[in-house]
Amino acid sequence: MLKKIRNFSIIAHIDHGKSTLADRLLEFTGTIAKRDMKAQILDSMDLERERGITIKAQAIRMNYKGYIINLIDTPGHVDFSYEVSRSLAACEGALLLIDASQGIEAQTLANANLATQAKLKIIPVINKIDLPAAEPEKIKEEIENIFAISRDEVILASAKEGIGISEILDAVIERVPPPEGDPDAPLQALIFDSHYDSFRGVIAYVRIVNGRIKAGQKIKMMGAGGEFEIQEVGTLKLGLMPQEELTAGEVGYVVANIKNVKECRVGDTITNLVKPAAHMLPGYVQIKPMVFCGFYPLAGEDYENLKDAVGKLQLNDGALFFEPETSAALGYGLRCGFLGLLHLEIIQERLEREFNLNIIATAPNVVYKVNLFNKEARYVDNPSMMPPVGEISSVEEPYLKLTIFTPSDYVGSVMDLSIDKRATFINMEYLDQKRVMLTFEMPLSEIISEYHDQLKSVTRGYASMDYELIGYKESDLVKLDILLNGEPVDALSIIVHREKAYYKGKKLVEKLKEVIPRHQFQIPIQASIGAKVIARENISAMGKNVLAKCYGGDITRKRKLLEKQKEGKKRMKRVGRVDLPQEAFLAVLRIGT
Amino acid sequence: MAAPSLYIHLPFCKKKCNYCDFVSYAGKEELIDEYVETLIQEIKLQLPTLDAPLSTIFFGGGTPTLLEPKHYEKILTTLSWKPATMSSRLPEIEITIEANPGTADLNKLKELRSLGINRLSIGIQSFHDHHLQTLGRIHSSSQALHFYEDARAVGFENISLDLIFALPDQSFEEWKKDLQQAIALNPEHLSAYSLQIEEGTPFWEMTNDKLKMKNEGKALNLPTEEVALAMYEYTIEALWLTGYKHYEISNFAKAGKECRHNLHYWQMGNWLGVGAGAHSHVDGKLWANVDSIEEYLIRKPATVSSRFPDEARRNELLFMGLRLLDGLPTEKFHGFEKEVAELIADGLLKEENGNYKLTKQGLYLGNLVFEKFV
Repeated sequence: MLKKIRNFSIIAHIDHGKSTLADRLLEFTGTIAKRDMKAQILDSMDLERERGITIKAQAIRMNYKGYIINLIDTPGHVDFSYEVSRSLAACEGALLLIDASQGIEAQTLANANLATQAKLKIIPVINKIDLPAAEPEKIKEEIENIFAISRDEVILASAKEGIGISEILDAVIERVPPPEGDPDAPLQALIFDSHYDSFRGVIAYVRIVNGRIKAGQKIKMMGAGGEFEIQEVGTLKLGLMPQEELTAGEVGYVVANIKNVKECRVGDTITNLVKPAAHMLPGYVQIKPMVFCGFYPLAGEDYENLKDAVGKLQLNDGALFFEPETSAALGYGLRCGFLGLLHLEIIQERLEREFNLNIIATAPNVVYKVNLFNKEARYVDNPSMMPPVGEISSVEEPYLKLTIFTPSDYVGSVMDLSIDKRATFINMEYLDQKRVMLTFEMPLSEIISEYHDQLKSVTRGYASMDYELIGYKESDLVKLDILLNGEPVDALSIIVHREKAYYKGKKLVEKLKEVIPRHQFQIPIQASIGAKVIARENISAMGKNVLAKCYGGDITRKRKLLEKQKEGKKRMKRVGRVDLPQEAFLAVLRIGT
Repeated sequence: MAAPSLYIHLPFCKKKCNYCDFVSYAGKEELIDEYVETLIQEIKLQLPTLDAPLSTIFFGGGTPTLLEPKHYEKILTTLSWKPATMSSRLPEIEITIEANPGTADLNKLKELRSLGINRLSIGIQSFHDHHLQTLGRIHSSSQALHFYEDARAVGFENISLDLIFALPDQSFEEWKKDLQQAIALNPEHLSAYSLQIEEGTPFWEMTNDKLKMKNEGKALNLPTEEVALAMYEYTIEALWLTGYKHYEISNFAKAGKECRHNLHYWQMGNWLGVGAGAHSHVDGKLWANVDSIEEYLIRKPATVSSRFPDEARRNELLFMGLRLLDGLPTEKFHGFEKEVAELIADGLLKEENGNYKLTKQGLYLGNLVFEKFV
């Protein structure tokens, strides 16, 4: 049995053709008939298709030449690198898919490194060789230089044109080793993904490493600790295919009346409650949110709806964190934690689209470690919870190691941009004559602003990046408060590096002056550090705002005009006596972080 | 309820002005005869539904002075046709006609006056020719001055002048001159409107499609809110000093010369509007006729109007009534106690002699008050 199984995944940069290749493999093996084919079957969420990324990994089983081949998909964004590592841990091999004209990108390297660490057999595939700009020989050289894989191992393909598909499948059978494992040993099943189904509860996607699993069995989550009874197991085709049992080496799903994805975490090990395994599988980490922001309903009465909606999304998203918080300025809301900025944006968009909520998101921030004079260390995920300046001995912030691949022409621009973002240069390496790999250390908080967009812009879209967290480092950070009408607005506070505080404070008050409409009274806008005001602007009072003409024939039209004016105010958030438009919070995001 | 008013809409113009969003059409003068016939039918049908004699009549436009005296003769004869409604009291009724200086000479004015029309509202807008041009007016400043003299010569003793300020490229000094010139003519009544950029007008395009207009060199350079406010403050001050009473946001009159017809609107009295696009308000119901002249002509007079959904009419009473500087009796604000308290706290509304009325700041920021009552 084990000898006839192959488990693999595909590592690729966005747009290098992973989903198209997956579709071709499914078609070629007859797993899905051509007429049932929706373009890019693996990206099942609308948002995924729109953004061209895979948010949630999935798996699918193919039969080919008497072998069972499981393709385990991986998320394609750096925010989800932990999930990628768990998906890879469920495989013995990986296709390294590279665009024939683009070459290797930073994220591909990072994921390939993960695969190598997990001792996966790597099969390099150069895709899109049909394109006029294809340079397969140059890419082969890159593969040799960067991965130390012989160019003879490279398969040339075009997923779009169906070129190289059978070679890829043959290589998976010949080069990827069969899974090892003992069907008679105590059960160890690796959860590499899960999703919540409103009828059946959580469906866990698993790789059976040792032992066997079947309906009726009592199981235990070795990391999270929950105990459940298996209702159904099976394999994955386009839908769920129930099976009698799954044994070591197989990939499939488990349904066990689990109510919440939090009880079924990616990376956890399922074992038999009665005859448990001695150890859980390595690599399990309870992932912690890295980026936080406040979500506030525009209409106060929507608070309960917001809470319900985030709760529903959390059922299916173990990485999403939330707790109620109250802002003096914005009222009741939620403090939410995310894996990264993309994760944040996706959740915000889903709340607006799927739950029809109008929300204000405060500027995102990282979790700061604040060391107090009394030797206490406090983790602060909300700028307004920062202890008073007098109690703080030092502040630390999360740092990451940043890897950037760029054409050598842009090295100067990338350097300037990164140094401006408080990066420390570590290393530069030539990948070939025209491309270099730059390594920096940089505060995470600088990445969550618009670093990625700016990197793309200074390199005309040619650079790619990847990062990993390396821990906390001390920084000279201060809390920048914004005061409107003399009153601090807690939801506009941000934590910034002292050297940039003046510049950002100035920019911020200027921008706020632009986006906050005139009121009946003058509104002073101030930026301050502690009690010290570092920048100020005034929004002058409204001069004249009155319908000059309103006679018998004007009533209905003018009434509509007044109604429109009134509606506009309802779309703003009232803070004290000031109506704040959404753009004010956006400004803090753009300039502040 | 005060005696009802009659509004007659005459939607014909030689040329549409760049700021005008009223129901009016250029180049349809050949329809005037037929239009007047239809008007007469509508008046005959609708007038008997009013249960009291008329107190005012207003010929508005469009450009009413584009019509010939014979048209007015027909209409006014029709109105006298049912003696119980008015007839013998005709001289006591305020009968206003809106006039464009470019469309009537001494003889026409004389005939109109002799038909019993006793109030003239002249669209001066500006005494600066370059501003008149920007506005798209068809007359010059000197034409307007002659027109005023002619009107006085033929016996109009109740004349109102319309002026607009905060015009594109207008300086504070220019407005001062305009206003002083108007005061020097000594009219009984003055309307001074701050220019409003209305949707669907050429001015709207020029301010809302800035990039395109800049390329074509047509972008409007409007005075800032501060300058517009200074012009308005100056207007109020200057007219008060010369004996005009400020009685509505944009209207000023010598003692007893307030426009009775318009007061009727602001007090939400009963009025009947006839003609294309005319609005009526009778016994708490508000309705409007079709805007298109052609459709108005085709339809039977009984079917030209459509009612607006019957919402709380009281709200209109509030935002219309607060335009008057005397305000409205406090008891009319029942149910709006919270809004009133906020507005008083914000210094926009005050209580005086049993009325709520706009404060000085409320006058400048009236929309912040009005929006609370829609």
